[in-house]
Amino acid sequence: MTSDSASSRKALSKIASNRLQKELVEWQVNPPAGFKHIPTDNLKRWVIEVNGAPGTLYAGEMYQLQVDFPEHYPMEAPQVIFVPPAPLHPHIYSNGHICLDILYDSWSPAMTVSSICISILSMLSSSPAKQRPADNDRYVKNCKNGRSPKETRWWFHDDKV
Amino acid sequence: MESEDDMHDANEVASVEEDDNYYSGGEDDHDMDEAGEGEDYGYDYDEEEDDDAADYDFIANSDDGDDALVSRSQKNYTILKEEDIQRRQFEDITKISTVLSIPREAACILLRRYNWSVNNVHEEWFADEENVRRAVGILEKPVVKSPNYKEVSCGICFESYSIGKLRTLACSHLFCDTCWKAYISTSINDGPGCLVLRCPDPSCGAAVGQDMIDKLASHEDKEKYRRYLLRSYVEDSRKIKWCPAPGCDSAVEYVVGSGSYDVTCSCSHSFCWNCAEEAHRPVDCETVAKWVLKNSAESENMNWILANSKPCPKCKRPIEKNQGCMHMTCTPPCKFEFCWLCLGQWSDHGERTGGFYACNRYEAAKQEGVYDESERRREMAKNSLERYTHYYERWASNQSSRQKAMADLHQMQSVHLEKLSEVQCQPESQLKFIIEAWQQIVECRKVLKWTYAYGFYLPEAEHTKKQFFEYLQGEAEAGLERLHQCAEKELMNYLSSEGPSKDFNDFRTKLAGLTSVTRNYFENLVRALENGLSDVDSQAVCNKMSSKTAAGTSKSKSGRGKGSSKTGTAVRNADDSGSWACDKCTYMNARSAAACHVCNHRR
Repeated sequence: MTSDSASSRKALSKIASNRLQKELVEWQVNPPAGFKHIPTDNLKRWVIEVNGAPGTLYAGEMYQLQVDFPEHYPMEAPQVIFVPPAPLHPHIYSNGHICLDILYDSWSPAMTVSSICISILSMLSSSPAKQRPADNDRYVKNCKNGRSPKETRWWFHDDKV
Repeated sequence: MESEDDMHDANEVASVEEDDNYYSGGEDDHDMDEAGEGEDYGYDYDEEEDDDAADYDFIANSDDGDDALVSRSQKNYTILKEEDIQRRQFEDITKISTVLSIPREAACILLRRYNWSVNNVHEEWFADEENVRRAVGILEKPVVKSPNYKEVSCGICFESYSIGKLRTLACSHLFCDTCWKAYISTSINDGPGCLVLRCPDPSCGAAVGQDMIDKLASHEDKEKYRRYLLRSYVEDSRKIKWCPAPGCDSAVEYVVGSGSYDVTCSCSHSFCWNCAEEAHRPVDCETVAKWVLKNSAESENMNWILANSKPCPKCKRPIEKNQGCMHMTCTPPCKFEFCWLCLGQWSDHGERTGGFYACNRYEAAKQEGVYDESERRREMAKNSLERYTHYYERWASNQSSRQKAMADLHQMQSVHLEKLSEVQCQPESQLKFIIEAWQQIVECRKVLKWTYAYGFYLPEAEHTKKQFFEYLQGEAEAGLERLHQCAEKELMNYLSSEGPSKDFNDFRTKLAGLTSVTRNYFENLVRALENGLSDVDSQAVCNKMSSKTAAGTSKSKSGRGKGSSKTGTAVRNADDSGSWACDKCTYMNARSAAACHVCNHRR
């Protein structure tokens, strides 16, 4: 209900499911530090546990990421959101949407779930304060009815966090 | 002298339209255009000479003068067809590729990055080649070592391939053809961003050039890419803009800083190169933008006011305006003749009784009396709407009048001219004066229309300027009404007569005379408005400038003495109010003036 965007309702293409299987195998051999894949029988939706890095504002906290893959993954970016409650962060909205360029405009098919996870952890770790984005309430209100963050026109203005 | 060139926009329209066949072959740009026009005019001129050249001296010579003007004014912009744009793009790429010794696809990427300016590419490249290469992604050597084992995996699908099956840019990041194709196709179908496509590796800046596209994209995608590249050449350039007419895919290159922004595309659409609105000389873009915005806001109010009909001021039957000029005649038995704009009797409008043409003036009925506050406010609101209505109505009337005139011009060219030629036993080449008259009408309606936007924004407080403006506008408008009436109504008599009319040559002289007088009026009007009506403050400067212009004009049209003296008489007859037409330049001067306002020639 919260995250089924139109593009993710279709079945994965053959290329997409081949690639995801390879990514999953690679993940099991070499998982990114701080993340844990929660096994399901659905290749199209991954649920990943995130552990806040030690020595950062989020140390000891645990969150869940939900990754939905479109039919033409990896040509199209996956949809990545935090399952609420989402961490308090200036680029993460209370509905779990994440303002991070590689998830949208700067996606490249050479990226992987693993590389996304590393970027998200790095974003969390460099946060100077636990707070919501300034426009959180307005944005969340506009996202009613399960609108996908991929339909948002993001404006990436802050490259420090 | 700049302004004089531009003044002949109308002629330019003419030549572009007539020379359509020269353009359509058009693989060459401005050089050829000019040659084409020269030939065409030369041809007409010859034909006139073959006939009774002496009689029509005036026409042949005025043509000659126009020719010179056309080729001069043509130079501040060039119309580019798709082939022209493609050819230029090709040539620019060749230039860069040769001078910098880089492949064509790299030259193309560079040019796109620097807005297709060959000079900028040279400058940046020779200032810091390494930096430019890095910024646009033209790499000299691989950023990663190419692997030396046989089996390598594609960086996207992670399948293993023998190394020969994988493809890379200069960076050596390897991907299989299936993934490359999908990557390129996704990007092209995402929009013009495909022109700045980089290697799929997120950390790599190597640019994907057209060579890759040609090798890997589908036919359909290649065509899309080609269009984006073509559009980029126009849209990123500071000197070229698309013609905004619907369905037209020509572009216009403008010589920045060369004066008037009015340009006419080969599709015959005239527009302002600067703001893409319809051509609006002599009014500036800012005023036009304000006016257009105001109209869109007020148009709801205006619609009922300007419902297509007005009651006849005498018999009150509703009348729909179906002809272009403002002179209305109610249907029999009423037959009341009136002015569509002010609903006053037409005979008060100069022609017959020598009354003063004044329905362009807006007199805010300011009565100094005892008003209570609310009544005063109501009055003010009403006045402001009335004031706007006044200008808007005249603006819109001239607009529709212009459209009608354009249709009439077309009808004239396609149907009537041939018929008239038969009825009056005149070769069509001898009837060119009629087309010229209609072209002048179309042009003048446009100028006149915009002067109403100008008038609306002219501060009420500047009385002298306002008076001067309304005087010039009134003169121009009256002249245009005479011309429009003559071309529209009098011509009909000759068109419908049984055989050749005896006085057809008089008609020719009259219409040609009116055309040239009207052109003069409008030139004055345009010049005055573009000077910000500065003549009011500095008469002397203006006179000096105009006399220079006038001298030039009379020189280029020497030998038209016969025509102009006749014209002068005709106009003097037409207006007995005491205004007098200058013998030298035909400008209508106020009774009080001892010397011509335009050329200083003594009365």
